[in-house]
Amino acid sequence: MILPTTTVGSFPKPTYLLKARSRYARGELGKEDLLALERRATQEVIRLQEEVGLDILVDGEMYRGDMVTFFAENMEGFRISGLVRSYGNRYYRKPIVVGRVKRSKPITISYFSFAQGLTSKPVKGMLTGPYTMAEWSFNEYYGSKEELVLDLAQAIRVEAVELERVGAKWIQIDEPAVSTRPEEIDLAIKALGVVTADLQVKTVTHICYGEFERIYPKLLELPVDQIDLEMANSNYDLLELFRRHRFTKEIGLGVIDVHNHLIETKEEVKRGIKRALEVLSPQQITVDPDCGLKTRTWEESKAKLQVMVEATREVREELAGA
Amino acid sequence: MIATAVGNYPKIPTPPGEPKLRRAIARFERGEISEEDLRRVEDEVTEEVLAEEVKAGLDLLTDGQIRWEDGQTYFARRLDGFSIDGLIRYFDTNTYYRQPVVEGRIRWREPIGLRDYKFAQTRGERPVKPVITGPYTLARLSQNPGEQSFADLVMDLAAALNQEALSLEEADPPWIQFDEPAILRHKEDFPLFAEAMEALTSGLKPKTSLYTWFGDIEGIYPQLFSLPFDLFGLDLVRGRKSLELIEEVPEGKGLGLGIVDARNTKLEEERDLVDLIKRMARLVPPEGLHINPSCGLEYLPREIAYQKLVLVAKATRRAEEVIK
Ligand SMILES: [Zn+2]
Repeated sequence: MILPTTTVGSFPKPTYLLKARSRYARGELGKEDLLALERRATQEVIRLQEEVGLDILVDGEMYRGDMVTFFAENMEGFRISGLVRSYGNRYYRKPIVVGRVKRSKPITISYFSFAQGLTSKPVKGMLTGPYTMAEWSFNEYYGSKEELVLDLAQAIRVEAVELERVGAKWIQIDEPAVSTRPEEIDLAIKALGVVTADLQVKTVTHICYGEFERIYPKLLELPVDQIDLEMANSNYDLLELFRRHRFTKEIGLGVIDVHNHLIETKEEVKRGIKRALEVLSPQQITVDPDCGLKTRTWEESKAKLQVMVEATREVREELAGA
Repeated sequence: MIATAVGNYPKIPTPPGEPKLRRAIARFERGEISEEDLRRVEDEVTEEVLAEEVKAGLDLLTDGQIRWEDGQTYFARRLDGFSIDGLIRYFDTNTYYRQPVVEGRIRWREPIGLRDYKFAQTRGERPVKPVITGPYTLARLSQNPGEQSFADLVMDLAAALNQEALSLEEADPPWIQFDEPAILRHKEDFPLFAEAMEALTSGLKPKTSLYTWFGDIEGIYPQLFSLPFDLFGLDLVRGRKSLELIEEVPEGKGLGLGIVDARNTKLEEERDLVDLIKRMARLVPPEGLHINPSCGLEYLPREIAYQKLVLVAKATRRAEEVIK
């Protein structure tokens, strides 16, 4: 099937889970109780995706706070800092590298297996990439960023190989920080190469924000099958770059603006996909939102995804009829 | 030599410290407390920050920008011609701000920071400097969808922020600091930038400083130092290259040495900091040197931010002794 649909990874956490997480943080709730609620939320996320009719699912990241902190907490070599502001009135515990980084135990495996066990559709294994892990942590240990990034790459490689072994058909390695420092893209490419070197399954990397003009077409050297990009938020400006220099990989085409409460219309989304089809082949495209949905409400997320799936289905039919 | 801060400071302490402001903002957003109640908490936290800066040993304080949503919005929402839009990444960091959108001609309407500055001045036990985000950076970090050219926007902002700076004179600040990190990312714009800086500082009587960060000044040195400011703040952590570059500083001009990394928790060795200060003291007499973190400390955990200020103050005092 052409134009499969998916999402970037995160879903909004239900209120009961948010409450449980803060009670857990205060020591008022046990690990097992929290896990039970995470599983309940994961079931709801899987059910929502099946109802909407997505083709490739995610576990919704119900067990994660921050995308970097979660992995740091589960690796050797990190300590978690005090609270640091991320934006507005939101704060998170930013990781600090204080020793040699290593993966000494499975990080996402049990969450992945649980989610995959709930559905017959493929669930993506979701990892944070080595460059982003390094860029968004404090570093008190390594003398150079490159050493840190490459040790992280080794650690994440082990986790990725394990995900493949337990049945992941798609593995996504998010590198949102890649676009923020164009001068370091070679390091990001090298590190991602370490992670994906031994993988046989489909690999994706999600990148957002930033100055794409400065890293394109270099971006195409990222050693993955698919690069997932936000398009809706920037009014599909990137297509101009692709017109000048052909996009040679598969693309995750972000057609839903995740920073906006407004629900896109079906026509709007169809128009976006069709504009992309002017410079990309249907075989290249997977359709998804711009970024994770965690800042939207449950209802907004569902409504946005319904529009996306419906629009994609109609474009598919039009292509088949043509 | 003057030990100082660059601007912002963490708004909440690390648990078990009480996140007063975070809680107050959340309650205000839920309609549980009034705007006045929220302002009172902001005042309290500002007093705490001023006290921490004094305790750390700084000579020249900032109010920690506790009331600032971020460097852009604080000004943009009180200037005519702006609206505030969605979240966008601040340079290459993992933090976000709400992007101002230019919707018409930018005009200064009323004093923006005066009340807050006066508050800090009366509460701080040492001199306090007000900080203004510069016109070039404000323009760069805004969205400008209309017909107006970028250069015109910068110049309108320069005129508006000049009025803002003039309005602060009423409170007789010892220094006014202008922040312009964005120029380091767009050095090709220096001619426009220089024109804007002239307009920005026109007629101002207090001493002025121009702070940059997230890069070095290669490409705009030595022109930078001929701009009409008394002192130039440099990020010598991310812009270490500036150290090798600067051979001369015009007489009468000072430097703000950003030598403590405001974006990493690792604490510097005091000895290394003193060496850096000594090195720059060959170019500028001690009274022309401000010693500070590389940029605002807001994105560190509060207790680390405090320790960074302690380091700044200690290294400053030690360097003074050594140089004497
Ligand atoms: Zn994203």
